[in-house]
Amino acid sequence: MLQKKNLWWLVAFGALGLFPVLVTNPTYTTIGVFTIIFMACATSWNMFSGYSGYIALGSAVFYGSGAYTMALLSIHLHMAAGSELFALVPVGGLVAMVMAVPIGWIALRVRRHTFVVITIAVFFIFQLSAINFGFTGGTSGLNLPFITWGFQNYNTPFYYVGLGLTIFVTLVSALVRRSRFGLQLLAIRDDEDRAMGLGVKVTAVKITGFTMSAFTVGAAGALYAMFVGQIYPQFVFDPMFDVSIALMAFLGGLGTLSGPLLGALILEASQQYLTVTYSNGSLYLILFGALFLVVIIFMPQGIVTFIRDRVSRRAERERAAVAANDAPPSPTTPVEGVAVGGTH
Amino acid sequence: MNHKAKLLRVLGVSSVAAASFVSLGSASGAASSGSIPKGQPVKIGISLSLSGDFSADGQAFQQGYKLWAADVNKTGGLLGHKVVLDIVSDASSPTQVVTNYQKLISVDHVNLTFGPFSSLLSLPAAKAVSRYGYALVEGAGGAPSVFQAGLHNIFDVSLPVANDLMPFAKWVTSLPAGQRPKTVAFVTSNDPFTEPQVTTIIPILTKAGIKTVYNKVFPAEVTDFTPIADAVAAAKPQAVVLGSVDVPTVSAFMQAFEQSGFSPKAFIATGGPDQGSTFIKAVGAKNANGMMVPNAWYGGSANPLSKKMVAEYIKQYGGTAASVSSDVAEAYSVGEVIAQAVKATGGFDNSKIISYLHSGVTLQSVQGPVKFNGLGMNVNPTAYTFQWQGANFVQVNPLGDPNTVKILYPKPAWGK
Amino acid sequence: MNTVALLSAAKDGILTGSVYALMATGLTLIFGVMDIINIAQGILVILGAYLSYALQVHWHIDLFVGLLITIPAMFVVGIVIERLFIGRLKGPERTAMSILVTYAVSLLIEGGLNMVFSVNDVQLQGWYVTRSFAIGQVHFGYIYVAGFILAGVLLGALYFMLYRTRFGMSVRASLADQTSAALVGIDVKRVSTITFGVGIAVTAAGGMIYGATNAFNASSSYDLISRLLTIIVLGGMGSLGGAMFAGILMVFVGDMVGVIWSPVWSSLSYFVVLVLVLLWRPQGLFGKQSARIA
Repeated sequence: MLQKKNLWWLVAFGALGLFPVLVTNPTYTTIGVFTIIFMACATSWNMFSGYSGYIALGSAVFYGSGAYTMALLSIHLHMAAGSELFALVPVGGLVAMVMAVPIGWIALRVRRHTFVVITIAVFFIFQLSAINFGFTGGTSGLNLPFITWGFQNYNTPFYYVGLGLTIFVTLVSALVRRSRFGLQLLAIRDDEDRAMGLGVKVTAVKITGFTMSAFTVGAAGALYAMFVGQIYPQFVFDPMFDVSIALMAFLGGLGTLSGPLLGALILEASQQYLTVTYSNGSLYLILFGALFLVVIIFMPQGIVTFIRDRVSRRAERERAAVAANDAPPSPTTPVEGVAVGGTH
Repeated sequence: MNHKAKLLRVLGVSSVAAASFVSLGSASGAASSGSIPKGQPVKIGISLSLSGDFSADGQAFQQGYKLWAADVNKTGGLLGHKVVLDIVSDASSPTQVVTNYQKLISVDHVNLTFGPFSSLLSLPAAKAVSRYGYALVEGAGGAPSVFQAGLHNIFDVSLPVANDLMPFAKWVTSLPAGQRPKTVAFVTSNDPFTEPQVTTIIPILTKAGIKTVYNKVFPAEVTDFTPIADAVAAAKPQAVVLGSVDVPTVSAFMQAFEQSGFSPKAFIATGGPDQGSTFIKAVGAKNANGMMVPNAWYGGSANPLSKKMVAEYIKQYGGTAASVSSDVAEAYSVGEVIAQAVKATGGFDNSKIISYLHSGVTLQSVQGPVKFNGLGMNVNPTAYTFQWQGANFVQVNPLGDPNTVKILYPKPAWGK
Repeated sequence: MNTVALLSAAKDGILTGSVYALMATGLTLIFGVMDIINIAQGILVILGAYLSYALQVHWHIDLFVGLLITIPAMFVVGIVIERLFIGRLKGPERTAMSILVTYAVSLLIEGGLNMVFSVNDVQLQGWYVTRSFAIGQVHFGYIYVAGFILAGVLLGALYFMLYRTRFGMSVRASLADQTSAALVGIDVKRVSTITFGVGIAVTAAGGMIYGATNAFNASSSYDLISRLLTIIVLGGMGSLGGAMFAGILMVFVGDMVGVIWSPVWSSLSYFVVLVLVLLWRPQGLFGKQSARIA
């Protein structure tokens, strides 16, 4: 059973790995880079917010910190424009983690509903600081060393670094999920008071989870900065980023492993594609909003959980039918076996 | 169905999906070879902000580009090829702009690319198209940061913004000491377009003995300007230099000043009063009287190219010469510059166009002569100051220019 | 900096702050009764402003007279949203889900407003928008004073409804404890629907004043909702008095920072105040210490 699941993961990541080989048009690989960045971020966000139930709407703080780390270090260290800049991607992640410790310490003192708002407030503090402090370049933003690779080869390295981040964060998320630490996060989601009563050091667990989830988002922000080559405070500290990755995780299935990946794949790819194809921002907002309402109202647990429930129900029916026919029972594998564990 | 069969089915579906992606992938986007088969149109790709923060300007730019394309096609197109504009929306987002230009080049196979609106989007756009060897000629990306990026393929046909307010500063300092304003307030949005303009003239006015009584930057996202305007009014400056990007900002300051019973002797705003009818509609013709704005172009320009464009604009969209937004002229100039480059190089080869534009040649546009330096900055344009005088939008600076009329100073009180 | 500038800033802070207090009160009322965080509050304020705009442009109805139409209209909008979407949310994750649902609703409304009114900024007009009277050297804009009075009247009416009517008693009972309220025979569902309607109805008045003092388009809603959320958290989520106090405090602090230091730091100051207060009182200024954490 477990091996089958792993096989599915290999197929899924294998397909992602083959994507730039099969699709060489730079427009689609560009969309691929943005999508893979969001897949990494949504999974990382889910590792804390999905497991603990503490919905954070300020992850752009980490994304932006990573982006500014990339920009400032590459400029001030006079780094050559080229693949050596990739070395700064994990540095962006580490800086984001350093930021996460005091933020978590402040924000996680309060109730869950207030936590949402504090993360938003902290987000604005960062965005406004980036706009108004001198060393960030203010609203003119920062210009990174200009990478002069041709269009044929430009996107591919970014895509694979992004994929590497995605695989890394998926593995970490899976390990957390199976660990004692992960169970503690889940216990906090289900009933924090009880978890505390049972001896879980809730504050320490929450801050640790929050800090861990910052790493990949920061690294992805650094990758984004290097990819676009130019950052502005309002676009790396972007409130839409906060909302987007939460929506991606919800759409796919909050607290599941594959949900955020699927949600990001569907949302980011379709958003980029629809905007570039139909070019009507207002219509897009309406379609996007309507899609969301439908998903939330009819599939409140997200796509992955929705399908799994359907499939396991059908499997049960099949099993019942098979049993009735007195045939040997066949083991069933859920099609969406990529999901590890349920939401409950 | 057993699970093996399921696995096979899913694999089958995925390979079909992969195959369909391959068909997407086969379209590769090499740089335009330079020649277009006879009878085929020349495609020009543009990403514009048709929604989002810059959408008002984005739409004015669209008018300018379309007007130019229609004019060119009336006279047989570019080298006999009909011009077709391929315009996509970027929702004012740099992420989307990067995808858009690549789609225009690698999927739609456009031959040339024109710039988006604002310096914010021009830079990421220029970096993306440079990977394909394309030139990006644009009309609204003149912030210093654009020229500091070290790009070889970006050309801004408009006035570099840092020098916009110079004629105004020269005029103020030329006034006899008795008439010269004694105090001045500088209040600017923290925007790459406005801040450089304002900071350039502060030392000039200070040197002329004009005392700065207020000098503050406000955040671009502010919408309630009353507290800021109140603070400016409380300092009672005789001249106000406002670094604004749009009509709502200027109109909010004017309204708040009126409310505080404050009217400066001279009031110049870096953006807003140049927006023609949009500005008049927002503030009322009477309040506009005496308001000044720096720019490189206005609807009443004596340039024959400009007169022709304005006449066509009015024929198509209505209004008066004063109501034509300068965005229209900036976009139109982009088209004119590229048309001359195409003609001179005899084709649509972007690398030839880039070297031609860097060659120091002087080109003509509705905004006046255009000549690029090595950074793609237009070194030729004259900065003007314009002023609303009654229902007319007139040129009041530089001093000594034959088309300059007498400045209305001091500015009449609000509503007069 | 002079005294006039300081006094003007204080005046601006209190007058404008009262309008934010009104908008935030609707938001905190909805949260208190229903455990719903209504992200759409920002865009509904803008919708209210556009309603006033449409009445003014097409039928030449004065902004204040128009409130007689827009307030009931926004009440109905609130009821419809509650019936269609909010009422369907069940289970322990409903507060988190409500953020998403109301965000989706606000995207729908934003797209619709962009299509109908375009994205060009507009501002509401009236003779009182540009006039003012002076006390000493401090000028009071009529529209700001009117906004202050309007906010006071509506908050007073809200107070009367909550503390002097039977319906208000049911609302307060639901605010305190939904389960017990249901046990004593209160129709919590109906109370919730009406509360949502009332919480939205105040946006019509808030939106009108906002629209007369700011140039706006649909995307102005993002700035609004971030401020409103900050205000209700600072006041203590679910506390009506807290929202009123925090609304005025926030704008006051912002305007004072703007005049003393620089306008670029005024928005930042809201958020810093919030974080500092929460370090000291995690439940907000007037929030009740909740027995349970989640």
